[in-house]
Amino acid sequence: MLFSASYAYAYYYYDNSFYFISRQLFFAVAGVAAMFIASFVDYHIFQRFALPLMGVSIFLLIVVLFLPAQSGVRRWIDIFDVFSIQPSEIAKFAVVVLFSHMISTNYKRIKSFKYGILPFGVVLAIICGLLVLEPHLSGTILILLLGAIVMLVGGVDLKWFVLAGAAALVAVGIAILIPGVIPYAQSRLTYWLDPFSDPLGSGFQTIQSLYAIGSGGLLGVGIGNSRQKYLYLPEVQNDFVFAIVGEELGFVGATIIILMFALLIWRGFVIAGRAKDRFGMLLAVGLTSQVGLQAFLNIAVVTNTIPNTGISLPFFSYGGTALMMLLGEMGVVLSVSRQSAVIKE
Amino acid sequence: MVQAPSNKMRLRMFIVMLAITVGIGSVLVYQLFNIQFVNGEEYQRSAVQQQMRSLKLTPSRGEIQDTNGKILAVSATVWNVIVDPVVVSKKEVNGQTEADIIAENLAPILEMDAAVIKEKCLTPNTRSVFIKKRIEKPQQEAVNQFLTDHPSIRSVYMLEDTKRYYPYGSLASTVIGFVNDENMGGAGIESQYNKVLSGTPGMVVTAKTAKETDMDTRYQQRYEPENGHSLILTLDETIQHFLEKHIENAVNEHEVRNRAVGIVMDVNTGAILGMTTKPDFDPNNFKEISDPVAKERLSLVAIASGGTNTEAYREALSNEQNLQWRNKAVSDPYEPGSVFKVITASAALDSGAASLNNYYDCYGSITVKDREIGCWKLYGHGNQSFAQTLQHSCNPAFVQIGFSIGGGTFYDYFDTFGLTQGTGIDLPGEAGSIYHPRERLETSLVSLASCSFGQTFKVTPIQMITAISTAVNGGNLVTPYLVKQVIDENGSVVEAHEPVIRRQVISEQTSQTIAELMETVVSAPDGSGRNAYLAGYRVGGKTGTSQKLDQALTEDGREEHVLSFVGVAPMDDPQIAVLVILDSPKLDNVLSSTIAVPVGKYILEDILSYIGVEPKYTAEEMKNLDLTTPNTIGLELQKAKDTLEELGLGVKVIGQGEAVLKQVPTPSTQIPRDATILLYTDEDITPNLVEVPDVFGLGTSVVNQMLTNAGLNLSFTGGLGRENSVASRQTPEAGTMVEAGTVVTVELTALDTAGVY
Repeated sequence: MLFSASYAYAYYYYDNSFYFISRQLFFAVAGVAAMFIASFVDYHIFQRFALPLMGVSIFLLIVVLFLPAQSGVRRWIDIFDVFSIQPSEIAKFAVVVLFSHMISTNYKRIKSFKYGILPFGVVLAIICGLLVLEPHLSGTILILLLGAIVMLVGGVDLKWFVLAGAAALVAVGIAILIPGVIPYAQSRLTYWLDPFSDPLGSGFQTIQSLYAIGSGGLLGVGIGNSRQKYLYLPEVQNDFVFAIVGEELGFVGATIIILMFALLIWRGFVIAGRAKDRFGMLLAVGLTSQVGLQAFLNIAVVTNTIPNTGISLPFFSYGGTALMMLLGEMGVVLSVSRQSAVIKE
Repeated sequence: MVQAPSNKMRLRMFIVMLAITVGIGSVLVYQLFNIQFVNGEEYQRSAVQQQMRSLKLTPSRGEIQDTNGKILAVSATVWNVIVDPVVVSKKEVNGQTEADIIAENLAPILEMDAAVIKEKCLTPNTRSVFIKKRIEKPQQEAVNQFLTDHPSIRSVYMLEDTKRYYPYGSLASTVIGFVNDENMGGAGIESQYNKVLSGTPGMVVTAKTAKETDMDTRYQQRYEPENGHSLILTLDETIQHFLEKHIENAVNEHEVRNRAVGIVMDVNTGAILGMTTKPDFDPNNFKEISDPVAKERLSLVAIASGGTNTEAYREALSNEQNLQWRNKAVSDPYEPGSVFKVITASAALDSGAASLNNYYDCYGSITVKDREIGCWKLYGHGNQSFAQTLQHSCNPAFVQIGFSIGGGTFYDYFDTFGLTQGTGIDLPGEAGSIYHPRERLETSLVSLASCSFGQTFKVTPIQMITAISTAVNGGNLVTPYLVKQVIDENGSVVEAHEPVIRRQVISEQTSQTIAELMETVVSAPDGSGRNAYLAGYRVGGKTGTSQKLDQALTEDGREEHVLSFVGVAPMDDPQIAVLVILDSPKLDNVLSSTIAVPVGKYILEDILSYIGVEPKYTAEEMKNLDLTTPNTIGLELQKAKDTLEELGLGVKVIGQGEAVLKQVPTPSTQIPRDATILLYTDEDITPNLVEVPDVFGLGTSVVNQMLTNAGLNLSFTGGLGRENSVASRQTPEAGTMVEAGTVVTVELTALDTAGVY
């Protein structure tokens, strides 16, 4: 899928249609290996490294702010020009691990404010504060959601979620009503509601995405036959790869992809439910939620269900380190599954 | 300390899972459904629109050929030379800017002023300026060479275009029309058959990327253009040429003010063999005014309005252009005058209102109600047979004939002869006629009276000749047409026009009688059309002179007239009809009212011999028939004398020699039977030059005497009876110096036909 989507773009910009796919294949192979290894590693090792991992993550999030901006944002750290890493990807993992660890160790006191809310709040505040500086709104939202899910499943008092939900609504309200709080939020909202109000500017990507999906119909134009990938749709190999899925595979294909993600989430949660301990369960819940939420939020963006924001589609979008990390994380979930199976026997 | 997850955790987890999978998942599927089905078509259309680029492929326009395949109109590829002033570099190299180089090099190729080209190269605020439009292949190659030699110049380029060529220039221009700047037919056949000629444009539809480059060729669809079909006309270039030559001569000679029309038609099929309106135009240069008189009028407007860039001038130019493009033969109704009497006569005979045995009195005029209608012959024709009324073109007689037909029946014939509707000829802009409605003819004797001799109504020339054809072809109303066949580019016939007979109007018997009557108009000693007499051919005809009653007098106080003549031949089996109409000629001498007749005669004379109608001479004609001089040069004098005298020719010997060294007229010259041949027998021959005397308007005996005295041979043409005839035209012209013995041809016109209406 990625190959088809990136074909024209790579040919045009890199003079090599296979540019993206060859790189991605390498990382996929490495990622599968990582997943395999991780599934054999006892996931409890992360309990020990939970705090240091968070430390490294925060450090990288600070480092990235001092690196030159790419397209106006500071999200990537280039390593020797060979590949780049997104500290936010590491932060997601770190948050899930740390929260799972904290809840599993303080489960008894989880309903108290001191143990149940405060530490989590502090961590989220630091991480999200750094992410907003990048700026990386979608990453911020995703991490907040992930943290909330882990906390929710972990048993944190429901009233806090009601409060947080209310606070979030107020915050969104402020962001929308008072221009300039989050500078690009308002315009994105406008073009979400009516992408055709600025067809050549801010609405362009969304429109091209809708054109692509709309051209798909029931069964799609067939794999490799997308026309929208011919440089019309920006970021076609990244965030908007699902649009090409919609165009080439049609409604049937796109729905199957959505079902496959749902299946993945379901399987992840089944694993979590069978985990032998709370840390394992929360870890599995958090990592599965990460993949699931990211996938669905991405599809929601591509179909203009929510405002345009930079979330990539797990396993589909181009991005070597992200793919490797995702597969690694799936390895961790498999590790949780492996240990539960051992207990059953 | 391993604690299994609690049930509460599991419950909450299950809720989260449901929320994500079922909740968000179903929203997404719903959204997909909306995009792909509800709005799918619209998105798809927009997507296709931005992805597709279509390029028009221009088909080539079909040819127009005459009946024998001579090409009258053909299209060829030409090029427009264009400069993009924005790209023209302003930098100086060796003291020259790019504009200088372009101007200097292109000026000689394009035959333009270098300064003009330079100015075009420096036009501000535009990205394309035509340096020159429609250059041809050699020029295009030269420009290409220049561009190849100067690879740094990227501002000049050429785009293909097509141009229409009319190899015969103005020939049949009002019929063929022209192709305008948008490559559309602008008039005539070009306009009428524009769709057939222009074909269907093709298209290349290419899928393009957002960067305007083409996607893979598998996304390309090509629809080949369908080239236009060619037309084969019924027009014959040769006949058209004869027709135009004589009409044009008449226009010049008689200073025809409102253009002249000539039509040659196959009476049996309706095929138009020739059609012209003079002056006309050159379709290669259709915007240019061809007529010198019109040019003169325009230049007066230019002077009066202060230049050629004024509103008044532009309007005048536009009027002149429309005028010269106008096909008077189909677009301008006129009062047919006496030519129409053929139709009245047909109606009278066919309806039984009159027969050849009827006689009509003419006392010089007839009174209808309070109106007195005069005859051209002041004291009247007296008692005349039906045939004589037509020969005399007697108005009072025709009023009586009209009355005997009756208004209703008259109208019915007027209608069935096709004079109330257009003929349906395949030309644009055919006008209808202006005529009295049936009720009026039934109730108003004055209207019926004037209609009987062709006045107070108007028909188009094409309607008139079609009605005349009906009268002589056995009574069938045919639809005149110009396109015989439509052929495709391989020459296969796509469509063939079959002659259309609309209806039988009069009986075959009546038609035959009418043909005989028309012949007597030319052949009778006092026939009003006898100036159309052609020795050896059986020609019928009818003259017409109508006053333009609806027009003011000319500046010099004269009435405007339309002079016309219709001729049909051969009368034993009518094949062709010729209609000549001179609208508002200058009438300044006694012979003027018959000027249309000889024009018709010249046209018939040329056409009949061209289409191979064998002349059949009567004994009387044989006597007057010209001889071809035999060659006596080199012969012994006595032998030469014998040869010539045996033929009945006179001989005059000049010199003392034994053998003929030179003869005048030279061998193979057409000479009258009573000519005298001059034989020169001496080495040192001084040509004996004499001046040709002016014989215009003189009677035959005087002309004979004058030319004999001058030492010239005389050959009369025209005018069956030489009594009452005068010289109306001579070749060589008066005042020319010619060798003694030269044949001077003098054309005779019957004097008593002057004033015939």
